[in-house]
Amino acid sequence: MANFTINSESIEVDANPNTPLLWVLREHLKLTGTKFGCGVGLCGACTVHVDGNSTFACMIPVSAVEGKEVTTIEAQSNPAQNALKEAWVAEAVPQCGYCQSGQIMRAANLLENNPKPSREDIVNHMRTNICRCGTYNRIIKAIERAAEEV
Amino acid sequence: MTYNKPPIQSPKTTRREFLQSVGITFAVGSTGIVGACSLDSSSEPNEPLPSSGNNTISANAWVTISADDSIKIMYAGTEMGQGSMTTLPLVLAEELDADWENVNVDIVSVHDPVYGNPIRYTYYGFPILYTAGSRTLEAYYPVMRQAGAQARKFLLDTAAAEWRVPVAELKTELSQVSHTASGRTLSYGQIIELAELPDNLPLVDEKEYKRQEDYRYLGKDITRVDVPGKSDGSAEFGIDAQVPGMVYASVLRAPVEGEEPLEINDDKTLEIDGVIDVVSLPHGVAVVAETVEAAFWGKSALEVIWSTNSPFRNVTQGETLDTYETHARDLTFSTDSPLWQNVGDIEPAFNEANTVVEEMYRADPAYHAQMEPMNATANVSDDGKSAEIWVSTQTQSLTVMAAADTLETSIDKITLHPMLIGGGYGRRGEYQAKYVDEALLVSRAIGKPVKVIWSREEDVKDGIFRPLAAQLMRAAIDSEGKITALQQRVATPSVLSYFNVPRWKLAEKRDGISMNGAQTSRYDIPNIRSEHLIMDRGSRVAAWRGVGTSYTRFANESFIDELAHREGADPLQFRLDLARNNPDGKKVLEEVGLMADWSRKREGSALGVALSDYGGFSVAAGIAEVSVNEQNGEIQVLNYWMVIDAGFLVAPRNVNAQMEGNVIMGLSNALKERITISDGIVDQSNFYDYQIMRMDEMPDIHVKAIINNKSPSGVGELGLATTGASVANAVFAATGARVRELPLTPDRVLAALRG
Repeated sequence: MANFTINSESIEVDANPNTPLLWVLREHLKLTGTKFGCGVGLCGACTVHVDGNSTFACMIPVSAVEGKEVTTIEAQSNPAQNALKEAWVAEAVPQCGYCQSGQIMRAANLLENNPKPSREDIVNHMRTNICRCGTYNRIIKAIERAAEEV
Repeated sequence: MTYNKPPIQSPKTTRREFLQSVGITFAVGSTGIVGACSLDSSSEPNEPLPSSGNNTISANAWVTISADDSIKIMYAGTEMGQGSMTTLPLVLAEELDADWENVNVDIVSVHDPVYGNPIRYTYYGFPILYTAGSRTLEAYYPVMRQAGAQARKFLLDTAAAEWRVPVAELKTELSQVSHTASGRTLSYGQIIELAELPDNLPLVDEKEYKRQEDYRYLGKDITRVDVPGKSDGSAEFGIDAQVPGMVYASVLRAPVEGEEPLEINDDKTLEIDGVIDVVSLPHGVAVVAETVEAAFWGKSALEVIWSTNSPFRNVTQGETLDTYETHARDLTFSTDSPLWQNVGDIEPAFNEANTVVEEMYRADPAYHAQMEPMNATANVSDDGKSAEIWVSTQTQSLTVMAAADTLETSIDKITLHPMLIGGGYGRRGEYQAKYVDEALLVSRAIGKPVKVIWSREEDVKDGIFRPLAAQLMRAAIDSEGKITALQQRVATPSVLSYFNVPRWKLAEKRDGISMNGAQTSRYDIPNIRSEHLIMDRGSRVAAWRGVGTSYTRFANESFIDELAHREGADPLQFRLDLARNNPDGKKVLEEVGLMADWSRKREGSALGVALSDYGGFSVAAGIAEVSVNEQNGEIQVLNYWMVIDAGFLVAPRNVNAQMEGNVIMGLSNALKERITISDGIVDQSNFYDYQIMRMDEMPDIHVKAIINNKSPSGVGELGLATTGASVANAVFAATGARVRELPLTPDRVLAALRG
């Protein structure tokens, strides 16, 4: 049994404490916006925020978020996230789209800590997240656009 | 505009084929309901309208117009990020003069020849739904135009009859017909209520199609229908399927292809909380559990003794490639496949040559590395003879056909839900998809819906790969330095014979996947021969983005570069001379040269160029600027320029996105992606030992598409194949070292530098 906050709602999950947070989100809570990519923290597709820090949901057991605040792509009221979601559409970032939830969550963490990132800041921060379709240029543009909005 | 999830049931429509040539049929939607919709005030000053009672009409198989003015357009491909789920319906909407805001797009989920890709017709004897080869827009473009024009004409005729005015006095705009002289208007939905749909609608002459200058949507940047959902996490991919009562399965597969489980010890597995059952499969052992984590843990706890007699145990990649090379070098060796390209006669040219040049090029296998690991969800009926499947697939038809094979049933018993695809690149286009079979077999065994998810390690170890290849390039040069003959001998397995057996049976040993790009189509060389030496496969093989082109163009365009340097010619000018009779090829070369400022010498870096066709008549030229660290052999690509000609750009911004994606995936592959196989086992397992290009590694990318009014052609895989050769050519220009093996890893660069 784990108790934590998910997108500002308190929840209780009946899961083995060793279960990766990723599977709790996706298959127990049906919050499927967070994606499974590699399972070992190499691709960033599962990026969520735990107490405001971007975290690979595949790498931490649900027991590690006990009492903490987990934010996923499904969150509605996060200003940075919302600006990024709009910028993602405006710049037509996604191709296959599978990695993009993780990209947005990673980018939201950047904007929360560095509201006016340089291109270099963006690239250094975003290198944790792979996009096989090669949308990197548009990700950069969308982050720059969102930074103007926030 | 929105798109709908595929319907649970296939649409209940009565279809009568009447226009087989373009695959358009006639269908009547549900009828007999009046009053479900009301006329709004904009219909004034019309009289109250008599109604035929339609609430929807399908003018043909592609478009259904409803009395509430909503319009449903069918999309017969699948969506993996290439954008044709938007582009094709947009072509129809343009010709229909529909209001795109009220359009819904439905993915066709049934295997129905009516929706088959016209270009795929010759492969199977009947058209199938198959999204591959960058042929979707090109193939369906004329069909969508006709379908839209036909529906529009029907609406105009109906309105003209209603108002008793000549059709010529009417015009259409944004889902509305208007008569300027009388100020009357009817929305498409209002007309549907009036309409009597005839038994068939006539074909509309192409001359009556909308003029390009009147386009509202095509050639503009309309938001793709799948982009909003992919920007807020709500898009549903195969792995996101949630079915009531569903359980999970994880499969431990034989470490070597062809082996089977002999002894299974599942004691520890069954002790794990949540594990329900263990099911033996022909190629592995499935652990079924209430949760996905328990399924994975249960798999890890299995102890299995495998058979050890598979011939694939003897496969070690270096030796395999050496064997291929030996066959490629032996000019008497042939596997009797028809010549891939045969222009003139190379024999006299080689006999009379002043000089014969020969070089060998090798390529390692490549993994798709699509971000969504393989997965499928299936629910098989109690009698084991029908099933529902939720899966990301590039082909509705083959998925349904293969599932019917597996369950020994007929295709009408398979209900498919084609989900959005988290990366295709050819990986999801195979006939007999193992992940679908696993979901079907496990569901049948336990009588519940089952979701099978592969781990990334399984996805790599059980991957199906772009094959390895050894290619001998030969040229005959006459006394004036002119190329009189070019020969390309490609020793590589047949991809089709493994990946798509039904198509291979019709292919007569001509493998359009393995051999794609092994033709010299833009250069004026009088005698050309290209041939496939069909090798035993050492691994599972697949189509990979650009199919054969990534290795065939690497060999071909590296060799052209070597011939240029032999003659002391500038590599770009040498190609321009060769392409003198091919305006399209010449144009992209010229343009990319201008963009890159080709003749400007760089300090510490150098340029290389390459040319490649792909997807219909599309052609691309790419230039790489690289610097090479001669101490450690590392190549850094600083800039990449690419110019394409793919005809009319239906969605220009999307074309640019595809070009950038091709450059990044191509460079990633050319620089570092390498699958190796030892004793039949894939050595790599995840993104630490199969690394793909990250944001900080990408060069500055500059892309341009030639603007013209030719019919649109493919861009989804175009230009990827320029990357390997252009980088190798740039490395030569920078260092004088020629690397003839893909990928261009530091060890190979160092070896070339040391001569």
